[in-house]
Amino acid sequence: MIEVKNLVKRYGNHTAVDDLSFTVDKGQILGFLGPNGAGKSTTMNIITGYISATEGTVTVNGVDVFEEPEEVKKMIGYLPEFPPLYPDLTVLEYLNFVADIKKVKRSLRKQMVEEVMEATKITDMRNRLIKHLSKGYKQRVGLAQAIMGYPELIILDEPTVGLDPKQIIEIRELIRELSKNHTVILSSHIMQEVSAVCDSVMIIDKGKLILQDKPENLSMHFGSTGGLKLVIRGDKDSIMKELGKIDRITKYEENEALEEGTINVTVYCKEDDDIREEVFYSMSKNKTPILEMQSIRMSLEDIFLKVTQDNSSTDSSNAESEEADNNRKQPEGIISSKGEEEDSNAGDL
Amino acid sequence: MLAIYKKELRSYFTSMIGYVFIALFLAIIGIFFYNNNLLTRSANFEHTIANVSFIFVLLVPLLTMRIMAEENKQKTDQLLLTSPVSATDIVMGKFLAVFTILFMVIAIISTYPLIMTRYGQVPFASSYASIVGFLLLGASYLAMGLFLSSLTESQVVAAVITFIVFFFTLFMDGLASSISTTNKTAFIFFTALILILCFILWIMMHNLTVSLGVGIIGEVILTYIYMNKPTLLDGAVVKMFGWLSATARFNNFYMGIFNLADIIYYLSITFIFLFLSTQVIKKKRWS
Repeated sequence: MIEVKNLVKRYGNHTAVDDLSFTVDKGQILGFLGPNGAGKSTTMNIITGYISATEGTVTVNGVDVFEEPEEVKKMIGYLPEFPPLYPDLTVLEYLNFVADIKKVKRSLRKQMVEEVMEATKITDMRNRLIKHLSKGYKQRVGLAQAIMGYPELIILDEPTVGLDPKQIIEIRELIRELSKNHTVILSSHIMQEVSAVCDSVMIIDKGKLILQDKPENLSMHFGSTGGLKLVIRGDKDSIMKELGKIDRITKYEENEALEEGTINVTVYCKEDDDIREEVFYSMSKNKTPILEMQSIRMSLEDIFLKVTQDNSSTDSSNAESEEADNNRKQPEGIISSKGEEEDSNAGDL
Repeated sequence: MLAIYKKELRSYFTSMIGYVFIALFLAIIGIFFYNNNLLTRSANFEHTIANVSFIFVLLVPLLTMRIMAEENKQKTDQLLLTSPVSATDIVMGKFLAVFTILFMVIAIISTYPLIMTRYGQVPFASSYASIVGFLLLGASYLAMGLFLSSLTESQVVAAVITFIVFFFTLFMDGLASSISTTNKTAFIFFTALILILCFILWIMMHNLTVSLGVGIIGEVILTYIYMNKPTLLDGAVVKMFGWLSATARFNNFYMGIFNLADIIYYLSITFIFLFLSTQVIKKKRWS
């Protein structure tokens, strides 16, 4: 549906987008992931025809953005980084205006405005002036604007900024809903958002494409270090002795215990080696029950940090980055239990 | 275009600006009408119009200062430019909206000569010719204001620049008469103009070859004319200032003369500035 080829955007000596190529299929949700200033917004602005590219081509449904911008603009709904709102209009007036300039048929207009307001849950605010709305509501009005006219391609630049957790979940659901009939590109610097919603993730840094894959496959690119985090009840020495008997464990380290009468221990094994069952039976035989067991895998945060760091310091030695990796893995449990729902559920098992 | 026109027009009347513009306009014209026509019992409405042509300098910046600058500031230009509307649609929609507000005022003013017919003979030709001229003058000022507003993000900057430029057009006639008409003056003046042009080109494009090239070519042509046909340059500066003076041509309307050249002059000024505004919008994409 969208084909981006060798896209380059330069501002004077600064290269904002550097030889970016990718394709998005119909009905996909593509996530742009990258630190601030990575070139996400610039790329989106180029696809929507707001700014031009220095080099390269963008085609949407086979139509070139640079040659027939108006044809392409008909197919795109865009929520930029700052929602383009007129503060002196009411929500309803604004959406009517948007429907007007997006050339929604007059007969469909009224119903479509209602539907869009319903979908973004702003119906109650219809008669408020936009300048009186909170940040979250403004964001939702911006989103309503982007889906107005149900364009084939919806581009959202950081759609959940400024929303509360409940709204974020609602917006994610809305985006999933939209992807049934639309192609969606969204950008974010929040990993959990991308992994929760997207079919495909692109990591961009300094205008370069670093990686594109499904969110669940991303960790494969880096070979997860095998390991388990365990909370075990029982006598420390006997547990350690028993763990020491398992040959497949290459290394173990004790962490600070959080509950009385238990110990927290992290055990490491070779990559792609599954030692969970062996550890379970061994502890079961020892009558020291495992209360919690959690695989250490690279979270999207780790991958993201690793990738963007590698990119910025390619000459850093392996040992250094490995050490940095381990350091980063420590707080993983904290992040996942706070953040991503799926992850924390898996962790608590 | 219609969507932008409607939205723009409405925004002038949801905020105060539209009402303030109309009220001030009518108040100022009312005062001059009272002084020139009612108090002196003169039926020549064109005297009033001639006296108030400065009104645009004061009031048009009020109307046009936010017209494009606000879009740039609120980033709503991003909505417009990623929607299937062309730059021409945007500019025309906005221009027609402010023109409509001006037209409302002019429509009200047009009744004044009619009111005076109750008390005697009114020279309709010169009255209405001057009103039409006034409207055309206003349209060209609106287009200029719109163009200047599109150059900036700040309403205040837009208002100040618009005011200065308009002020300048008002005194162009006076300036022109005080400038010497020798061809040497013209040579120096046009040389300075070419230098300024080069500088602007360089700022806009950051391309030394283009700006130097334009400068050298311009200077060569100018020197050639100066050496071989110096008479061409006699009084050229004065002529140019006269040409730039938006109010000079207004005098014909004032006398009740519909001169096609004058009408075309105002229409082309309007057109040129609207065209330049669309170019500013289009250029944004390429910056």
